[in-house]
Amino acid sequence: MKVKGLFLFLSAIALTSCNSNDDGVSAGIEIPGITITNDIDCCTAEQALQAYKFLETVKIIPTLTTEVDRKYNVYAYTRTGKFHIGYNEVFFVATKKSSNNYIKDFSITGLTPLMLMTKMKMEHSTPVSGSAEVFNDNFPAIKRAWVSFIMSSSESGSWTLSYHVDVLGGKGDVNKAGLTVDALPDGQAWLKSFKVGDDTYFLSLANASDWKTGSNVIRAYISKKSTPITTPYALAEESFTVDIDPRMPDMGNHTSPDNRPLTPQADGSYQGTINLTMTGLWRIHLTIRDAQGHVVAGGDNQSSGYSSLFWDVTI
Amino acid sequence: MLGTLLLSTIFLTDTTAMAPHHLDEVVVVSYKQGGKRSAKGQTASIDEHLSELSHVELVRRGSYAWEPMVNNMQTERLSTTIDGMKIFYACTDKMDPVTSYVESGNLQSISLNAGLNGNPQATGNIGGSLDLRLRKVGFAGAPFHLNTSVGYEANGQLQVYGADATHSSRHFYIGGGAFYRHADNYKSGGGDRLPFSQFQKVNAFVNTGLKLTDNDVMETTLIVDRASDVGYPALNMDVAKAEAFITSLSYKHLFVSPLFNSWETKVYYNHIVHEMDDTHRPDVEIHMDMPGRSWTAGAYSLLTGSVGRHETSLNVDGYYNRLFADMTMYPGGAAPMYMVTWPDVGTLNMGVSFSDRIILSSLSVLHLSAKVSWQQQRLNNEEGHQALSVFFPGMRRQYHQTTGRMAASYQLSLSDLRLSVGAGWGSRAPTVTESYGYYLNNTFDQYDYIGNPRLKNESAVEVNAAINWQPDKTFSIGIDGNAFLFTNYIIGQFETRLSPMTVGAEGVKVYGNISHAIIANASLTIGWKPIDGINWNTTLAYSLGHDEHDDPLPLIAPFSYTSRLTYSTGRLRLLAEVKGHVRHTAYGVKYGEKETPGWVVCNLSTSYTLQHVTLRTGIENILDRFYTTYADWNGIPQKGRNIYLNISFEL
Repeated sequence: MKVKGLFLFLSAIALTSCNSNDDGVSAGIEIPGITITNDIDCCTAEQALQAYKFLETVKIIPTLTTEVDRKYNVYAYTRTGKFHIGYNEVFFVATKKSSNNYIKDFSITGLTPLMLMTKMKMEHSTPVSGSAEVFNDNFPAIKRAWVSFIMSSSESGSWTLSYHVDVLGGKGDVNKAGLTVDALPDGQAWLKSFKVGDDTYFLSLANASDWKTGSNVIRAYISKKSTPITTPYALAEESFTVDIDPRMPDMGNHTSPDNRPLTPQADGSYQGTINLTMTGLWRIHLTIRDAQGHVVAGGDNQSSGYSSLFWDVTI
Repeated sequence: MLGTLLLSTIFLTDTTAMAPHHLDEVVVVSYKQGGKRSAKGQTASIDEHLSELSHVELVRRGSYAWEPMVNNMQTERLSTTIDGMKIFYACTDKMDPVTSYVESGNLQSISLNAGLNGNPQATGNIGGSLDLRLRKVGFAGAPFHLNTSVGYEANGQLQVYGADATHSSRHFYIGGGAFYRHADNYKSGGGDRLPFSQFQKVNAFVNTGLKLTDNDVMETTLIVDRASDVGYPALNMDVAKAEAFITSLSYKHLFVSPLFNSWETKVYYNHIVHEMDDTHRPDVEIHMDMPGRSWTAGAYSLLTGSVGRHETSLNVDGYYNRLFADMTMYPGGAAPMYMVTWPDVGTLNMGVSFSDRIILSSLSVLHLSAKVSWQQQRLNNEEGHQALSVFFPGMRRQYHQTTGRMAASYQLSLSDLRLSVGAGWGSRAPTVTESYGYYLNNTFDQYDYIGNPRLKNESAVEVNAAINWQPDKTFSIGIDGNAFLFTNYIIGQFETRLSPMTVGAEGVKVYGNISHAIIANASLTIGWKPIDGINWNTTLAYSLGHDEHDDPLPLIAPFSYTSRLTYSTGRLRLLAEVKGHVRHTAYGVKYGEKETPGWVVCNLSTSYTLQHVTLRTGIENILDRFYTTYADWNGIPQKGRNIYLNISFEL
């Protein structure tokens, strides 16, 4: 009964929705492309529905699609269907071709972004999560990874992304799929770097687009530049604390109270609290401290009186 | 306690020796005879009429929409009603006290109840309550009456045009009219023009009455008021438009019973749209849009009766008000910045009030009144709630308060001596600005103010006394005084941890309760009629206000004096007036107030009535003194010499 009810619900979605996830699925099927069976590799009806609903909120990146063993399809998505400078979440899903249902257990590893700078004949990578992880237990079939691009695509340089996929023992690859990385609009600067000795670190602000007026969680990742630079930049093993001082440059550097620094979390991210008293451009001045509490970057109080290391966020 | 307070405030009084309740006054706005009135007659603005009241001072932010203060307390400690209807201003910067949404032509009179003994619909009236009484011709008026007036003032080229007409019969009446005012920038003493002191206003009203039976009456009122292009020289912004729509329907039953007199039930609705404007200002750092909205719907039901020596009234009232204001700032080239400054606060308020006037003997009267109100406030705007939650983590969406007041006064009238004493207690809920206002810049002290949803109610004990001695018909002397002893007085307090939002602001203040404060007022009035037709009247007034550290509160009047010499025959009336303030030494330096020098001005006015026509002319500030009073926001100068002329025609 429950499943039947869900079918009806799914049918209703099929009739009222239209999105890019339906690509390649023949019309006229009551459920939008998915057959729920008792296949233990695949999602239950509830899980499939949740995953389906989530995938409606994101957009597919066709160049990152691949097929494994002619039995499985693997799709990749981002929030907007595009990439931009700084932190981008990438969502992966694998489906069984026979039923189009989502496969519960698969792995995405070896994410390797690469920038080829044609004029300089140089290649380098960028901060990236090494693998994709389940991020919501309600729909384990969707895995999340992230890439934080340090520059945009241009005439002088282009980005590619590669990864390995393992679906129920079958292996596949996406090899150097071309990507376009856009610049961020004015008033948004979500990726910054700092140096400690000879090491370069990248600060990727992860959730600025979710912020609203009021109290917000601020989440970021700190990655370390690799040697050689073509190796993906993994999360820094060193532990830091990031003090934040949000200011509104257009309002006489107005600030907000009770902001809390970003500190390392179990999942490898850094989290703190940022309070925003209104919409507009916020310049978040940063002071980086090492595990011993010594300032290692930022906090240098330039002529303005504020750290020269900052993120810009316009909400 | 009472005795010492009486002694400490004994040297004070009122100018209305003739009024039945010594602290309560009425200023007559309309053409009807009797009572106090402005020398300019009906072309006077509401603000000029208000200034005739002896416990009233007016805060001026420009030449329009002055904010009345009663007993040295501003809007938040007063109740202002229009015929018992609640109405709330819509500007976060107090550019539009509700008295600005009516016109002289709408009103019969303005009645003031000083202190806690408010009119039945008043709530939160610690300092006093003003009721703007609408003009209704009633069923016993002339079948047709027409009144027109035209006024001109040389300083600022103020033009006033007004006309209203009424029809009255035994079963039906209707009255209606329209008013228009226009003023350019005025010149201060010495001849300098004050930029952004212009304004323009139109107002129209209609009211009707229908007698259903001999004892049942239905009445309607409608007022539409629109001010536009109003300059506020004391502020950083002007007003593009301020619009009010005020309407009511009432039903009144008169009893032919020994117990009850009348029972009136009224439902009403009003809304205000207010839009500030900085587009005409030079040197605007960031252009801003700051609109505000206020909606109020309510009802009251008032039953009056008399039993033996008691004249009693029982009133039940309720209203729902919503206040919303926001601000969008446009920095050149960058993204607009937006904030909600009044988070769409819905206030549901219900109250019950009772009053009893007991005629103890032919010489003495005891008056008792009490009211209990309950209100609930809800923040309907999520963004505004989230923003305030940054400062008050865990704050709720909904709050409620219970407030009350009670007052008693006793009057004794002997042949040449009249005496009254009174006492009361009352509380008020914090206003929306005080509870939920968000980064409201106050140009008075250059601080940004943030509301505090956790404020306690403010309460006060009031004591008052008055004595008037009139040994013969030619001379009278009176002293009156009152003192308000506050607990949990609400005022902005420094919050150095916070950073101001407004460019150029000194810092941030958050509203808070201070444990106690005192405001006391005293006045002395002398009247002398040496010969018939000549009347000399002098009033001296003194006030003080201290916070819990004995530091002066802001906007407390310095010692002031007014002396008037009137000559009147049947048709002609001449008035010479000298008034002034001494140097304001006890100014609230802690609250950002600046010292104001003393000043004195002389005015002359005359009126002459010939049949249907009344001519009024006068000259204000004859010596063209440059001056500013303690109540002139940011020290903007008052008008320099001004000659006015107005003519009214009645049929």
